Amino acid sequence: MAKQRPSLLLLLSLISLLLSPPPAFSFSDESPTARRILVLVDDLALRSSHSIFFDSLVSRGYQLEFKLADDPSLSLQRYGQFLYDGLVLFAPSVSRFGGSLDQSKVLEFVDAGHDLILAVDSNASDLVRGIATDSGADFDEDPEAVVIDHLSYAVSDADGDHTLIASDNLIKSNVILGDKAIEAPILFRGIGHSVNPANTLVLKALTASPSAYSANPKTKLSSPPSLTGSSISLVSVMQARNNARVLISGSLELFSNRFLRSSVQKAGSKTIYDKSGNEQFVTEAAKWVFHERGHLKAVNVKHNKVGETTEPGIYRINDDLEYSVEIYEWSGKSWEPYVADDVQVQFFMMSPYVLKTMSTNKKGLYSTSFKVPDVYGVFQFKVEYERLGYTSLSLAKQIPVRPFRHNEYERFIPAAFPYYAASFSTMGAFFIFSIVYLYHK
Amino acid sequence: MAKPLVLHLLLLLICGSALLSSGSVIHPISDAHRSAATEFFVPAADGSFGSLEETYEALRTFQILGLDRSSAKFEGTCKTVSEKLSSPTTTKDLYHALKITAILGCRTESIEFDGITSRLQTAVKDASSLLELYYSLGGLLTVKEQGKDVILSDADGTFQAIKALSQSDGRWRYDKDSTGSSAFAAGIALEALASVVSLAGSDIDQSKIAVVRKDITKLFDRIKHYDDGTLYFDEKNVDPDQYKGPLATSASITSGVTAFAAVSSEKLNIGGEKILGLAKFFLSIGIPGTAKDFFYQINSLASLENNRISIPLVLSLPATVLSLTAKDQLKVEVTTVFGSHAPSLAVSLLKVLTPDSKEVTSFEKKELEYDPENRIHFLDLSPLKIDVGKYSLIFKVSVNDPEGADLYATGDQIIVTAFLTGFIKVDKAEIAVSDSDAASESVQKLDLSKESLISLSANHLQKLRLSLQLTTPLGHSFKPHQMVVKFRHESKVEHLFVPETSSRQYKLVLNFLGLVEKFYYLSGRYEIELAVGDAVMENSILRSIGSIELDLPEAPEKAAKPPAQPVDPLSRFGPKEEISHIFRAPEKRPPQGLSLGFMGLTILPLLAFLIGLLRIGVNFKGFPTSAAPATFAILFHGGIGAVLLLYVLFWLKLDLFTTLKALGFLGVFLLFVGHRTLSYLASTSAKQKTA
Repeated sequence: MAKQRPSLLLLLSLISLLLSPPPAFSFSDESPTARRILVLVDDLALRSSHSIFFDSLVSRGYQLEFKLADDPSLSLQRYGQFLYDGLVLFAPSVSRFGGSLDQSKVLEFVDAGHDLILAVDSNASDLVRGIATDSGADFDEDPEAVVIDHLSYAVSDADGDHTLIASDNLIKSNVILGDKAIEAPILFRGIGHSVNPANTLVLKALTASPSAYSANPKTKLSSPPSLTGSSISLVSVMQARNNARVLISGSLELFSNRFLRSSVQKAGSKTIYDKSGNEQFVTEAAKWVFHERGHLKAVNVKHNKVGETTEPGIYRINDDLEYSVEIYEWSGKSWEPYVADDVQVQFFMMSPYVLKTMSTNKKGLYSTSFKVPDVYGVFQFKVEYERLGYTSLSLAKQIPVRPFRHNEYERFIPAAFPYYAASFSTMGAFFIFSIVYLYHK
Repeated sequence: MAKPLVLHLLLLLICGSALLSSGSVIHPISDAHRSAATEFFVPAADGSFGSLEETYEALRTFQILGLDRSSAKFEGTCKTVSEKLSSPTTTKDLYHALKITAILGCRTESIEFDGITSRLQTAVKDASSLLELYYSLGGLLTVKEQGKDVILSDADGTFQAIKALSQSDGRWRYDKDSTGSSAFAAGIALEALASVVSLAGSDIDQSKIAVVRKDITKLFDRIKHYDDGTLYFDEKNVDPDQYKGPLATSASITSGVTAFAAVSSEKLNIGGEKILGLAKFFLSIGIPGTAKDFFYQINSLASLENNRISIPLVLSLPATVLSLTAKDQLKVEVTTVFGSHAPSLAVSLLKVLTPDSKEVTSFEKKELEYDPENRIHFLDLSPLKIDVGKYSLIFKVSVNDPEGADLYATGDQIIVTAFLTGFIKVDKAEIAVSDSDAASESVQKLDLSKESLISLSANHLQKLRLSLQLTTPLGHSFKPHQMVVKFRHESKVEHLFVPETSSRQYKLVLNFLGLVEKFYYLSGRYEIELAVGDAVMENSILRSIGSIELDLPEAPEKAAKPPAQPVDPLSRFGPKEEISHIFRAPEKRPPQGLSLGFMGLTILPLLAFLIGLLRIGVNFKGFPTSAAPATFAILFHGGIGAVLLLYVLFWLKLDLFTTLKALGFLGVFLLFVGHRTLSYLASTSAKQKTA
C-alpha cells in the first residue's frame, strides 16, 4: 500500500498537468490563432448587458473566460507562463483584484506583449486609473467629473444633462478602425482623460469636441475645468514597443448593447442614424487590439549583387546590389501580402548613407537596388517601418564593405601612355644599343 | 465562498442602480423589442431554433409579441416535434414539445395523447426532483389545455411532494437530497403547484393552498429594491453553478406567483406596488443581451400583463427634455407593460421639485388633460410659468372606476426627472481694456449673435474687463454650468478663466500685472474664446470673440518656462525623405589625344637614335664567328630581350611575384651567358691589341 502511494501521487499530478489549460503566448508569427482572453468584470450581469461585443469576439474564434475581478483564484500566469493572450478589464470599480493579480502584474502582462482593453466609468477606482496611467492615459482626477458637452451631445428624449456625447472625431486610420468609414456618431458617457504628452506611443482614437469639458454636472463650476476641448480623449489606443496593444475607454457603456443598438442624433444636426457607430467602432477597434489587423511580419530578407543570386559575405565599394524583403499582414485568418508604397530600406553606418523607397510587386515582395557607397566599413541594411496602427518592423542585417583590391584598379590609363612609351622606347633603345656597342667595328 | 458572493451582490446593486438612475423613465414593450426578437431568434433552415427548449422559447416570445408564426413557416417544426412526442424521450423534451405543438397549433390527429398522458402520469409518480415534477405536470397541463381530458391521479400526494421541498423562508429545494435552497426553484415550484391545482379540479384542500400563500408572502419578504421603487429577486448563498442572476430569478418567481394566483380561489395578498416594482424591473432592463434573458423578460411581463393579483400600469413620458421655446407639451402615457391602453384614469401633476428638492411654489396641483385620440395625457407648460431647469415631476395616477382601482397597480407617486430647456438671452456683453487707475476705459460692445471679431491691445499695467448678462425666457438671471473664457497664445499655451457672478451679471476682470507669471511672460496675440453652456440652454455658445495683443515684460531668468506643447504623435509616422549617397568625383584627366600626342613625342628620341645608327653605318663585324661564342652571344641578347619582354608582360598582366621569380631565373642565366660572351669579347680584343 505504502509503495503504491508515490505512484498514485505521480499519476494525479500527471492528470492535473494534462487537465490544466495549455499555456498561452503573446501574438506570435508562428501561432497567431487560438487566442485566450480573460474578461474581468465586477458584475457578471455585464456578460449579458454587453453581450453583443463579447459575442463578436467569440464569433471570431476567441475563447473568453469571464471572471469577477475579485475572484480569489485570479492569476495571469502559472509556472512563469501566461495563461491568456489578452485581457479585457471591464471592472471599473474594483479597488483590489482577487488572487495574485495587481497593477504591476497587469503591467507585466502588457510588457510581455499581451493586449489589453480597459474600460472605466464614473466609478473608476484608483487601481484602474493607475493601470490607465501606466499606459499613458491620465483620467480626470476629480472622481465626480464626467465629460459634458453642451454642443455635440446626443439628442435624446430621456437624457437632458448632456453627458451622453455623440462624437465623430475619430482617428484617421483605416488599420485601427477598418476600411469602412464609421458614419454614425459614437455614443459615449463616462469620464475623460488626457494623453500623456511625454508618451509618444499613445494616440487619441476618439476625441471630444472643442466645446466639451470634464466636470461634475451636479455642482457649480467654481474653478476652470482641468480638461477641456479637444485635449480630452474619450478613447485612446496605445501600441507599445513590443507591439502589445492597449485600448483605454472612459466609458464602459460605449461597449454596451444599449449603446450599440441605440439610434443617435447629434445636437444641431437633422440626421438621425438608426444605429450608433458604437458597434462598428468597438468591433473594429477590438480587431485591431487583438492583432487581427495591422500586424506585419517580414520574411525572406535577401540581398545580392546585381546579376547574381547568392548572398555575398562582403561587398566592395561601388558594387551594385539588390535588396528584397517580403512583408505580410495578419488578416485574422491568414497572412496576406501587405501592399504599400512607402517601405524604405536604409544602408546604414552610424547614419543612413542610402535611404531608398522600395518598389513592390503588390504580392508582398519589396525590392530595390542601389550602388554601395564609396565608403568602406561595417554597414547595416535597415528597414525601420513605423506606420500609424501597424506593428513596427525593425530589421537590421550587418554587412561589411571593403575598398578596391590593388589589382582592381584601372590598369591602362591613357594619360599614362607617354610614361609607358618612354620606358619601353628606352628599353628598346637599350637592347639595340647593347648589340651595336658590343659588335660594331 | 460567501464573502465574494456578498461582495458581488453589492457590486451588482451599485451597477444596477447606476444603470437605472439614468433612465428612470421606463417605457413599455415596443417595436424595438419586436425587431430585437427577430434578431435574437433566427430559425435554422428547418424552422427550428436549436434544441426543443430554445425553439419553445423563441416561439413563445413570438407568440407574446404577436409576431408571425404561421404554421407554413414552421411546418417542419411541427413534424419533428410530433416525431419527438411519439418516441421515448425525457419529460423536459416532452414538455417543450407539447408546448410547441400548442403554440404552433399543429395538427394533433397523429399524436397519441393517451400514451403521453400515461407516460407523464408515471413520471409525476416517480419524480424525485422538482424539475422533473415541473416538466411532467406542465406537460399534463398543456395536454389538458388542448382539450383532452386529463385528471391527475394523486393530486394531493403530488401537491404534498412538492410542498415537502419548501423551506421555512419561502424558498424551495431542487430535490430532497440537496441542502441549498433557491428562490429560482421557488418560482418553479409555485408553477408546478398551480399545475397540480388546475389538473386536480377542486380536490385540493384549501388549507394547503393557504399554506402556500403564506410561503409566497415570505418569499416576497426577500424582495430587493432600488431607490426608485424597482423591485427584483436575487439569489443569495447559492452554489455559483446554480446562480441564475436577478433577471432569471425574478422571472421564475413572477411566472410561478402569477400562475398560482390564477388558480387560487382567493386573491393573493401581495400588494400592487410589488407587482408594479417587478414590472418596472423587467422594463428597466431595456433589451437584454441574450435570447434567454429576452425570453425571461418577455415571458414574465406577459404573465404580469394579465395576472389576477393586480395589473401593473406604467407611466411613461415620450420625452423628458421639453423645450419652452418650441412650446412642448408635457405628455404622459399610461399603459400596461405591453403598451396596450389602460382603463379610464386621471393623471395629475402633484408637485414640481428643483434638484435641491425645493418645491416650485408657483405651481399648484394640476390634472392633465386627456387626448382620447392619441391616448395621451398632456399639459401645456407655458401657462404654468415654470422657468428653464432640471425638475423632478411628481405624478399621481388614479383609476376613475372605483372597482377597477383594485385591479390595477399604478403606484403611489411617480417621480420623473425632466428638463425644461429654453433660449437664453445674452445681454450687455462688453469687453474693455482700462488702465490700472480706471481713468480711461475703451469699451467695446460684443454682439454674440453676429460673427464679429474684436481686436484689442494691452500691456501688463492694464486690465481687461469682460461682462455679460444672461436671462431666462421668464426674465430671471441664468447661471449656466459652463462659463469659461479661454485665452490661447500663438504657441498654443492656454489659460482658462471662470467669470464671477455678481448681481445678475457675469464679470471677468483680468489684472495683467498679477498674471504675467501665469502667462509665462509670453507677449503676443491671444485668441479669446467664450464658452457658455448648460443642459437647459438651447443656444449654448462656443465662439471666438476676438484677440488681444498683449505686451508683457521680458521674462526674468528664473521664470517658469511655458509647458511643452505635445508634439503631434502622428508626425513620427510616414515615409522619410530619401537619401542617396554622393560619390567622390573621379580625378580629372587630360584628353586622350593629348596623351597620345605626348606618347608620340616620347617615341621620337628612339627613332632619332635608330636613324643616327643607320647614318653612322652600323656593322656587326665584331660578332663571334666560331660556333660556341656565337651561341652564347645569341643566348645573351635573347636573355636581355626576354627580360625586356618580361617587363612588357609585367605591365600587361603579370604581377610582381611572378615577374620577380622569372627575373631571378633569367638573371642567373644572363649572368652566366653574359660572362661567357663578355669574357670572349674581352679576350679577342686583347689579342688584337697584343697582335
